[in-house]
Amino acid sequence: MASMAGPDHLFNLRNHFYLGAYQAAINNSEIPNLSQEDIVERDCLVHRAYIALGSYQLVISEIDEAAATPLQAVKLLAMYLSSPENKESTISSLKEWLADPTVGNNATIRLIAGTIFMHEEDYNEALKHTHSGGTMDLHALNVQIFIKMHRSDYAEKQLRVMQQIDEDHTLTQLASAWLNLAVGGSKIQEAYLIFQDFSEKYPMTSLILNGKAVCCMHMGNFEEAETLLLEALNKDAKDPETLANLVVCSLHVGKSSSRYLNQLKLSHPEHVLVKRGASAEDNFERALQSFA
Amino acid sequence: MLTKFETKSNRVKGLSFHPKRPWILASLHSGVIQLWDYRMGTLIDRFDEHEGPVRGVHFHSSQPLFVSGGDDYKIKVWNYKTHRCLFTLLGHLDYIRTVQFHHEYPWIVSASDDQTIRIWNWQSRTCVSVLTGHNHYVMCASFHPKEDLVVSASLDQTVRVWDIGALRKKTVSPADDIMRLTQMNSDLFGGVDAIVKYVLEGHDRGVNWAAFHPNLPLIVSGADDRQVKLWRMNETKAWEVDTLRGHMNNVSSVMFHAKQDIIVSNSEDKSIRVWDATKRTGLQTFRREHDRFWILAVHPEMNLLAAGHDSGMIVFKLERERPAFALSGDSLFYAKDRFLRYYEYSTQRDSQVIPIRRPGTPSLNQSPRTLSYSPTENAVLICSDVDGGSYELYIIPKDSVGRSDVVQDAKRGTGGSAVFIARNRFAVLEKSTSQVLVKNLKNEVVKKSSLPIPTDAIFYAGTGNLLCRSEDKVVIFDLQQRLVLGELQTPPFVRYVVWSSDMESVALLSKHTIIIASKKLVLQCTLHETIRVKSGAWDDNGVFIYTTLNHIKYCLPNGDSGIIQTLDVPIYITKVSGNTIFCLDRDGKNKAITINATEYIFKLALLRKRYDHVMSMIKNSQLCGQAMIAYLQQKGFPEVALHFVEDERIRFNLALESGNISVAVASATQINEKDHWYRLGVEALRQGNSGIVEFAYQQTKNFERLSFLYLITGNLDKLSKLMKIAEVKNNVMGQFHNALYLGDVKERVKILENAGHLPLAYITASVHGLNDIAERLATELGDNVPSLPEGKTPSLLMPPTPVMCGGDWPLLRVMKGIFEGGLESADRGGTVDEEDGEGDWGEELDINVDGMENRDIEDILAAAEAGEEENDEDGGWGGLEDLELPPELDTPKASANARSSVFVTPTQGMPISQIWSQKSSLAAEQAAAGSFDTAMRLLHRQLGIKNFTPLKSMFLDLFNGSHSYLRAFSSSPVVPLAIERGWSESSSPNVRGPPALVYDFSQLDEKLKSGYKATTSGKFTEALRLFLSILHTIPLVVVETRREVDEVKELVTIVKEYVLGLQMELKRREMKDDPLRQQELAAYFTHCNLQTPHLRLALLSAMGVCYKAKNLATASNFARRLLESNPVENQAKMARQVVQAAERNMTDATKLNYDFRNPFVICGSTYVPIYRGQKDVSCPYCTARFVPSQEGNICTVCDLAVIGADASGLLCSPAQVR
Repeated sequence: MASMAGPDHLFNLRNHFYLGAYQAAINNSEIPNLSQEDIVERDCLVHRAYIALGSYQLVISEIDEAAATPLQAVKLLAMYLSSPENKESTISSLKEWLADPTVGNNATIRLIAGTIFMHEEDYNEALKHTHSGGTMDLHALNVQIFIKMHRSDYAEKQLRVMQQIDEDHTLTQLASAWLNLAVGGSKIQEAYLIFQDFSEKYPMTSLILNGKAVCCMHMGNFEEAETLLLEALNKDAKDPETLANLVVCSLHVGKSSSRYLNQLKLSHPEHVLVKRGASAEDNFERALQSFA
Repeated sequence: MLTKFETKSNRVKGLSFHPKRPWILASLHSGVIQLWDYRMGTLIDRFDEHEGPVRGVHFHSSQPLFVSGGDDYKIKVWNYKTHRCLFTLLGHLDYIRTVQFHHEYPWIVSASDDQTIRIWNWQSRTCVSVLTGHNHYVMCASFHPKEDLVVSASLDQTVRVWDIGALRKKTVSPADDIMRLTQMNSDLFGGVDAIVKYVLEGHDRGVNWAAFHPNLPLIVSGADDRQVKLWRMNETKAWEVDTLRGHMNNVSSVMFHAKQDIIVSNSEDKSIRVWDATKRTGLQTFRREHDRFWILAVHPEMNLLAAGHDSGMIVFKLERERPAFALSGDSLFYAKDRFLRYYEYSTQRDSQVIPIRRPGTPSLNQSPRTLSYSPTENAVLICSDVDGGSYELYIIPKDSVGRSDVVQDAKRGTGGSAVFIARNRFAVLEKSTSQVLVKNLKNEVVKKSSLPIPTDAIFYAGTGNLLCRSEDKVVIFDLQQRLVLGELQTPPFVRYVVWSSDMESVALLSKHTIIIASKKLVLQCTLHETIRVKSGAWDDNGVFIYTTLNHIKYCLPNGDSGIIQTLDVPIYITKVSGNTIFCLDRDGKNKAITINATEYIFKLALLRKRYDHVMSMIKNSQLCGQAMIAYLQQKGFPEVALHFVEDERIRFNLALESGNISVAVASATQINEKDHWYRLGVEALRQGNSGIVEFAYQQTKNFERLSFLYLITGNLDKLSKLMKIAEVKNNVMGQFHNALYLGDVKERVKILENAGHLPLAYITASVHGLNDIAERLATELGDNVPSLPEGKTPSLLMPPTPVMCGGDWPLLRVMKGIFEGGLESADRGGTVDEEDGEGDWGEELDINVDGMENRDIEDILAAAEAGEEENDEDGGWGGLEDLELPPELDTPKASANARSSVFVTPTQGMPISQIWSQKSSLAAEQAAAGSFDTAMRLLHRQLGIKNFTPLKSMFLDLFNGSHSYLRAFSSSPVVPLAIERGWSESSSPNVRGPPALVYDFSQLDEKLKSGYKATTSGKFTEALRLFLSILHTIPLVVVETRREVDEVKELVTIVKEYVLGLQMELKRREMKDDPLRQQELAAYFTHCNLQTPHLRLALLSAMGVCYKAKNLATASNFARRLLESNPVENQAKMARQVVQAAERNMTDATKLNYDFRNPFVICGSTYVPIYRGQKDVSCPYCTARFVPSQEGNICTVCDLAVIGADASGLLCSPAQVR
């Protein structure tokens, strides 16, 4: 429960960002009368939005040495994502930051650390920095890490913390949708309603559409999922999740999935679906060997 | 108490409601009787003929009459239409306290201080009975509403009930009045027409009032002992039931409420009290500061009461009658009596949903005030005034057909108002702290937020937003952003908030005002009503339709309003749909009213400048009337109004206003009045249309103006003509003017001379040098020749040459009337359509372009794929751990971080795919789980499959289709989620179902059909591909029931036959040079188990092949089989010919390895018959048969299994495992 007063100037910006309306977040970032703290948060959000849009170089070049610590952390994320070949050096400088007691506790650094270690699939290291929470972002990240670890019990605990802080927060709602999807069963419907609420309240984004579509798929309604995904494709023809989910959907409705798959392979060769597919092929060949 | 109307006057002693109209009579201590319209709040009439106070007054129930009785001992009967006292009934000997008409008979009952009650016949204008028995002033007397009874109250401390049955019988029987008149005297003391039935004793002081219950045998009385007593009676006796104590002074008047189970009393203690008639407890008390109450009246039909006091009277209601309702799409939820009900607009079906009150609970002012509904959760919030404002939350059960009468335990809470703000959130107002609590459906507080203004009510304002009302202001507040989105000053107390369906506009309704604002509360218009505003709803066009007490009205977006129709009783609009208004009445009944929307639709079209629409409405001329014309004129559309008008004068005015000269001329010709011509001339002059100006002046014979016109237009011919006319008419002045304008000096001199102004004529002539004329005039003048001024050089006064001679002024811009515009745009309708068509074409072009792009992409992709395939060998992603590694391997390292000293990273849970893999013995599910080796092992064991290469793509598809991908937190890795099969709403969470599979049985059915189709049309390669793919998919299909398992197995054999047959047929086509083998294969083909049409085709082809090869006997066998299969005519004909040919020569030219008499199966790889009794081996999967030598090879039919291998059989359903 939260009892707060005073307008929340960054509300819209944050919402845009969480719901995947990255360009809208960037476009609407000029907000008057911000406190110093808000300005740093605003800049972080804007740069994270640029990262989400894939404009890593822009972020790297815009954030200079003089920028605030959280922004430096955001820059690290951009560097990590932009050049996987140099990730060792990025991670080591991240670790330096984390070891520094003056800045190591900063929520944004911890968030970025969690994100990067999650990419590294080193959940232990990720949680080391994120588990204590502190911001809604960190809690939401924790929920996701636990879901990835297939520990929905832990994820649920995190979610409960979020609900106690602010049940109606966009991230709380999103995180509970994630968890609902992960635990499945009747909860899928609740997840659907959450995405439905978002779609009524805010402009449609491909993130919301994908969320709805995933729910539909899990409810066995692949036709509707396909419609939603095609709508998402209209919004963003290169969105990797849209393409990946379209591949899955097409398979289920008995249509050809190869075009979406190829598009995904072209634009996002590192996508989980592509990776999983390749490893599965490998796996198949290996299994075949045992029969030869 | 809801005060509806109040008057200030002398003390009010008598009151009576009109049964139908909104009128009330008030008789005053000053002797005046007032007739008020309490709805409009106006004094309609006053009747001032009594001397001294008038204590009793009563309307007749059907005639335009009322009766009054006063301290002048007179009873007067009045006709309020003619404003006349019709007659006066004399007889009472003291003040008259009350008078009342009988509801049926032409009687009046009166009570008087002379201790009698009299009954009068107002038709014969006589007293028909005198009821004696009271021994003090009779304070009140009234008829029973149904029975032949009268109740009276007296200061003798008794209430008496009189039986007037005998009197009625006398009236009904045709006894004449004269007889009764004579009888009357004998009746006067101890008559038999009316006898005392009961004497009710119990009051300790004088009784001021007694009244019957409208339908129960009950009487209520009020007395100077400050008590209200309730009495009951039966056929034989009457007794006191209870006493209601509470009044602090003499009780003046007391009555039963007409509709509710309550008693209302008033008293000289300056209070009105409301009592529960069943429980006999006080419910409410309303006090006045200084005024003692003297009289009460109950409306016979409506929920209205009136009370008279020392300085006037009040008309009031005890509680609101507006049913609480909430609209949701096509349905309306509303509260009626103690139930929540549901109404569906499209079907007009009305049904009960759930009970919300237990029967018998007190209802006065406890009924729901507002209702809020959440469609997704099917939850209803009901707010009422109970406990100073509280709410109840009900979840409507899904299967509620509504017959059950069990009141569910609602979740309750206190709060000023409560309203849903999101699917599963509602806001509750805490008035004292001006905070809202946001709660979830469990009634738990989720969030608290303080409001920006001191708020006394909250309303919905879109998801997550609240409209907060204070006394003179409303704001829209975003609860999440804690931001004020809009703010608006309003007249006191906005009562209702009505949003348009697109949530773009809002109507704020207060008592006498309607404010229309945008969603950000930007004021659009304000509308004031003299009569109370009751309800409203938005129609589909953005017009706000609302009701006042007595009208349905509309309000256009610009604030223009008008009446649609009048109302007899107030209604509450719930929805407007086209021409239909849906509303609730005061009894909580749903009604649909069809209205004539033409007027406001027309005005709306004008407002929106939809002139084509306007045009079509004008053409269909559905509307007319002065009001509309005035409206059009006022709104600056005189040219539109012009088209409505027949009356020439109005047409003329409108034409002038819109500058339409030609219409004006036509009208002026019709009217032909000087004034109109004049005005036409003025307008024509303004427009420079000199032709019309001239015409107008000519019509009015306005020569001065004409000549001036000719002067300035330089039309000298006409000017001189005009001069002639003036001469003829003997108009000297006009003639002179014209001459002056023309510069015709001679003429001027002549005129002056003729007019006798010889000196002037002389001067004119001499000045202008007309010397001969001057001399002639001088002689005539003789001595009187005036002297000419000297030293001046005279010049001839000549009019200047006009700049432009004649003709109309060129108008810079022809004002295109909107009306013509309308016409044009109406015409343009067609072209617009065409443009639309072009648009479509354009789009199609775009699509083409897209298509090309896609193709390009495809090319690129294909290239990329090729590239990837090349790279395939050195692929080898390390990503398998995720799937394959058992959890133990991933045990976390102990955390050594200082920050997380107490935190231990949990061990990773088991991926769902692993659960699948552990649980399942179905190959398809194993494949979906990614356990390809297990899947292969299963298939090998079950079906003897060894060649998995054809299954590769299916394995991969199953695996790919088993997970969806959720983008969770921005820039973090995507979350793959396992999709489970057989989801239902009631599936419990955290219980893992089997994986969703991309292949299902119904797809195979489809494939089978297209396989058949391809076969029929002879596309054998295609057909073979389809059938084979069925055969390859079946091992990976999962069905749910045993029956389906059988169907799957059946499908295998069906498809196998086709595959074998088609393979042979294709083989046959390859062997052009081996006719013998060709015949054999064609023959074998006919022994595959095919669908009849396919069999016919096979037979036909075999017959043809054999016939050509002169194997007539064999061919005729095929022909006979073909005929047996009941073929189409041309096939049959051919077959018969073959049979005939064969009969003549029943031989075979060549010997085939084919004996149709001997049953056989065909070897699937060598295509030779295996006759019954010969040894064979079969494929464990597809059951194709083979000659023994093939054992150990891969089956050539299905290309999967090893011929003759051991296998446990197809396992394709969990039902088989259970």
